[in-house]
Amino acid sequence: MPTLLLIPGLVSDGFVWTAVTAMLPSVVADVTSQASIPDMARDLLARHPGRLILAGHSMGGRVAMEMARQAPGRIAGMALLNTGMHPRREGEEAKRQAMIDLAHGHGMAELAAKWLPGMMNSEATPDPKLMADLTAMVCRMTPEIHERQLRALLSRPNAAASLTFRGPMLLITGAQDVWSPVAQHQDIARLCPQARLEIVADAGHFAPVEQPGVVANLLADWARDVAVADAGIDRIPDTPLFDRPRANAGFALNKMAMGLSTPEGRAAFLADERAYLDRFKLTPEQRAAVLARDWEEMVRLGGNLFYILKISAVDPTPIRAIGAAQAGLSLDAFLETRLGKVTNG
Amino acid sequence: MAKLIGGLGTSHVPSIAAALDKGLRDSDEWKPFFDGYVPAQDWVAAQKPDIAVVVFNDHGNAFFLDRVPTLALGVAESYAPIDEGWGPRPVPAFEGATDFAWHLADQMVSGHFDPLICRELDVDHGMQVPMELVFGRPAAWPVKVVPILVNTIQYPIPTPQRMWDLGCVLRAAIESWPTDERVIVLGTGGLSHQLQGARAGYINPAEDRKWIADIGPNPQRYRDMSREDYVEVFGSEGAELIMWLVMRGCMNAQVNTLHRHYFAPASMTGAGMVLLENA
Repeated sequence: MPTLLLIPGLVSDGFVWTAVTAMLPSVVADVTSQASIPDMARDLLARHPGRLILAGHSMGGRVAMEMARQAPGRIAGMALLNTGMHPRREGEEAKRQAMIDLAHGHGMAELAAKWLPGMMNSEATPDPKLMADLTAMVCRMTPEIHERQLRALLSRPNAAASLTFRGPMLLITGAQDVWSPVAQHQDIARLCPQARLEIVADAGHFAPVEQPGVVANLLADWARDVAVADAGIDRIPDTPLFDRPRANAGFALNKMAMGLSTPEGRAAFLADERAYLDRFKLTPEQRAAVLARDWEEMVRLGGNLFYILKISAVDPTPIRAIGAAQAGLSLDAFLETRLGKVTNG
Repeated sequence: MAKLIGGLGTSHVPSIAAALDKGLRDSDEWKPFFDGYVPAQDWVAAQKPDIAVVVFNDHGNAFFLDRVPTLALGVAESYAPIDEGWGPRPVPAFEGATDFAWHLADQMVSGHFDPLICRELDVDHGMQVPMELVFGRPAAWPVKVVPILVNTIQYPIPTPQRMWDLGCVLRAAIESWPTDERVIVLGTGGLSHQLQGARAGYINPAEDRKWIADIGPNPQRYRDMSREDYVEVFGSEGAELIMWLVMRGCMNAQVNTLHRHYFAPASMTGAGMVLLENA
């Protein structure tokens, strides 16, 4: 099973992930000691071996994107929360420097008092208990950690230029996050069309603690699916094993084909194929694939060959031709390249 | 007590049945495949088994996806060839070893394997083809049968480790059956093949030959492999080979490999057999 690695943001720690760690086996990453985003990514990849499901909050999201750039083959899925991929902006350095000076000059409690309110849901009064807990978290850090992380952010790579990750992705942000607004997540979703975007109501930049139950549930459901898919079998290329999603998607299609294992079913199919197909709740895509005898498409839509093969009992097609069609090869090329280079005896 | 006379692993490719039905036994394409089984057929005939336990998977014929037993056990009086889409094949029905099958049901459940118990069951090429490869095309089968069906189609399929353990329970059941009947166990399926996806047509003759050579003397590697490993090495449908582990698991640690044979491709499949007796 892949490890779920939770990467906190600026001057944050496991507190941000409290609700997630209560629901799922997971590990909280430490990003307090490294001097740059690429160093954080390298270090986490070295410290946490094997396949990883990443969840990064804010700066942690940038670390996750950099990990996926450095080691795409190790990342089973990536959840990005309250984050962005844009490079350093005009005027950003001066504002960050003021915060660095504040922490050094007046301490972490002062920093928390100045910094945290702007991070919260902009349309509600912050919950005093939550503010106290977040302030305590900030105070567990030091001005040196804060400075190191801000300088890492200022020198961050342009994630937009290298975000080519195509594995499962979940984007979560707060509807009232003014620091990393919804639009930044929509930008990421445009680059990664497989990403699912969830906008959490009544939450700002600290959505994982402002709406801990909602965020943890979203993340846990997603991470479980990613883990199952990853442990399974879809890692073997071009090999669509008949797992729960495929069995669900293909049930009606396979049931239609199963009907051809009786003489009555075969006669009905031969007499009026469309009327026979009408008996089953095929999707329009599945219906079109059957009518076109598009074997590759039938398998893509959840057909299992042991069932859909029964179509070839009514409308004869050799199994090797069905194989060639799925492989995208001519029959001759299929026989030669897949089955030919063998010896008997 | 009953005696385990041997274990035989074999492919059950449906094209083998089609070749027999079309009278292609001695064609250039198929003769080398069928001839390779003759020494094993002779050995089995000389040993005169009374019961064949046949471990195979149903290929979407007896069971639909509305209910998928991970493990099923036949206790029927008789098993007819099923209609797989082309009409039932002209092979004789198989007489069930009903009493032994119920004993096996008891022993399996006592040993923490809980099969679906099937009183009426038709069987597909997964059982027909191995029986034809071992016993030819007699007017009536010379043995009674006990089918054990394993789900190898819908995931999750059982683990290789579990299949081996089932073999151990099967061994104990055979040796606690108070008759002098002689039992042969057939583990069927494989070898390497893949029917689905863009990797369709994948076969791996080198690994197939290794399997045939090693399943007798060095089975540990195959016990340790994961289901994913099977799919990776032998193809998505090649993972059927886990069913040979039931056969191998019911044999002694030390076995003699009496006969082995390999042929590729049979249709889209690496095909072959191995015959083992306890050392």
